[in-house]
Amino acid sequence: MSPTATAGDAVVRKLVTFGRILREAGLEVGPGRLQDALRSLDLVDLQSRDEVYHALRCTLVSRRDDIDAFDMAFAAFWERAPSTAPDQPVDLGLQATTQPPTRAPSAAPAKEDGRPSEEESPPVLVASSRDEVLRRKDFADMTASELRRVRRLIAALPAAEPMRRSHRLRPGRAGDVLDPRRTLRAAIHTEGVPLRLAYRRRKLVPRKLIFLCDVSGSMEPYARAMIMFLEAAARAGRHVEAFAFGTRLSRLTPQLRDVDPVRSLRLAGAAMPDWGGGTRIGESLKAYNEQYGRRGMTRGAVAVVVSDGWERGDLGLLDVELARLHRQAHRLVWVNPLKGHTGFEPLAGGMRIALRHADVFVEGHNLAALEALAEVLSAL
Amino acid sequence: MRGGVPAAVGPAGNLTAMAELRPIDELTAALRTEAYLADRGLATVMSLSLALEKPLLLEGEAGVGKTEAAKALAAITGARLIRLQCYEGIDVAHALYDWNHARQLLYIRTIEAGEHLDAGQALHDVFGRDFLERRPLLDAIESADPVAPVLLIDEIDRSDDEFEAFLLELLSDFQVTIPEIGTIRAERRPRVILTSNRTRELHDALKRRCLYHWIGHPELDREIEIVRARVPGVPERLAAEAAAFVGRLRAMDLAKLPGVAETIDWTQALVALGQEELEAGVVDATLGSVLKHHEDIERVRDAGLRELVARARET
Repeated sequence: MSPTATAGDAVVRKLVTFGRILREAGLEVGPGRLQDALRSLDLVDLQSRDEVYHALRCTLVSRRDDIDAFDMAFAAFWERAPSTAPDQPVDLGLQATTQPPTRAPSAAPAKEDGRPSEEESPPVLVASSRDEVLRRKDFADMTASELRRVRRLIAALPAAEPMRRSHRLRPGRAGDVLDPRRTLRAAIHTEGVPLRLAYRRRKLVPRKLIFLCDVSGSMEPYARAMIMFLEAAARAGRHVEAFAFGTRLSRLTPQLRDVDPVRSLRLAGAAMPDWGGGTRIGESLKAYNEQYGRRGMTRGAVAVVVSDGWERGDLGLLDVELARLHRQAHRLVWVNPLKGHTGFEPLAGGMRIALRHADVFVEGHNLAALEALAEVLSAL
Repeated sequence: MRGGVPAAVGPAGNLTAMAELRPIDELTAALRTEAYLADRGLATVMSLSLALEKPLLLEGEAGVGKTEAAKALAAITGARLIRLQCYEGIDVAHALYDWNHARQLLYIRTIEAGEHLDAGQALHDVFGRDFLERRPLLDAIESADPVAPVLLIDEIDRSDDEFEAFLLELLSDFQVTIPEIGTIRAERRPRVILTSNRTRELHDALKRRCLYHWIGHPELDREIEIVRARVPGVPERLAAEAAAFVGRLRAMDLAKLPGVAETIDWTQALVALGQEELEAGVVDATLGSVLKHHEDIERVRDAGLRELVARARET
């Protein structure tokens, strides 16, 4: 491993390039990590593929979900493998996949600008009366530019924050637990006699909030606005997790939380290869329960499923998986945008099953409904 | 101290010498003497963590040997293992130090009863080290052991943001300030291993301080090896069949997948029952030591236990 000394510069340059590739794939690779990677390479046998791989992985990757992206980049860059395995589509946001999630179908002269609203220019002040009209307007009837404005309004909604009592204790005058440390400190002033007792009480903290949003074809008119809602929620704090599903499950939390609001929706769009396609709610929930619920993500959380309940898969499976979700969650909320339509009857087979399991059933077809949803969630 | 102490355990800075000694292979061999079979990935990462003096964050499904890795590391280096089990609401008083309030009160009373009452001195005494209760983190920092202790911070994902932030500070400086006593600095940095079951995503700042490694379920061959290393006197055949059976369970749709820990427990149970090989009846009776959910047990029974056992025996 000694020849590195002279080849050092080349290694550094290669590593920096590799770091850039990883960043493009969505990994957080700062200079600190690259430095660690470099030091690690010094300590392993450069002839051993495994050691080099793990030296780089343990320093450049910090979450399980990034390992696949890392593996692909590693194979492509260090092993000169074809950049993508034929059977594995890369949906890292590297390429602009699928059609941009945009356009309101029934909208009047649906302006074919096709540009997703993330290319948004600096916010323009909108007269509040126009906002008021927009508040009541069905998402499905909105034009692309209206949807763009809605994004700002959604971001301004009060955060949905269900709370729970934490086990962490906070000082307080009265409370649940005696605080001997503060009691004794106070006793110093009264000649060692603990006259005034200090207490600690349990603190309120935000409850975990998990969104599972249907982005299949039948939901398309609403899914865009819902993803915006999810984005606003995900930005509100680390207790929020966002997933999208059609025929498969995609975790959107990291994308939606991207610091750059112009990029976040584009990244999220790229992370949902099944946008506007078929629906397999049961299977998607199963994927969630297995990959995330099993580790305890659902425990004590408020789970919110956004879907019209048009299940094209197995209804029995939906029943089983929904029951599993409900059992682990604190509350199960079902949001159906179609519920806001007059004369709505939960006829979709999936919807009837959903009604059996959901604790709360709400609409989500316009801004006012989302406002109400945020309120409902905060009260849970 | 048992086994060969890997060179990586020596003071850092001696990097070239270590490279010649192939610390990764030595570490692997040393861990093996503790019946801990680390694959190349884990051995590489552990060795890097020692050499770079960076905490190691281990994530993985339950029962894949995250905690065991820390125990084995402590054993091979002859270090003391200091374990901090995290839970929600854990705070400084539980993790770092607390005052022994009962003793403090008694002491104040005793002085009062005596003749000479020097308030200044009394206060000094009451908040002195005699009244300090050391918790795991302070213990690790103040350790006077000849070998730096291994500090295991277990299930960090169960703690909350506040504790994570506190830990972040501690892991960067390895020093703490107790207002009444002053700043205490670690003379020897403890080797830190953090584990997480990923019930939530840890803060990026904390992760940046650590090397990261994901431990998955082992390949069949390795699992057989692990079982044989961990269960003394296990018939070779039984080890292979049990590992194969559990491997098949992992491919099923279960609420909780069995880890290596379960394979080991179960094999131990089978050995205790005098089994030489898998047999459907006994498997059925002992299924509870592999699967910990009632629904899972039902599901496996429904799937046809006999056939599963037969297929595991083919391998």
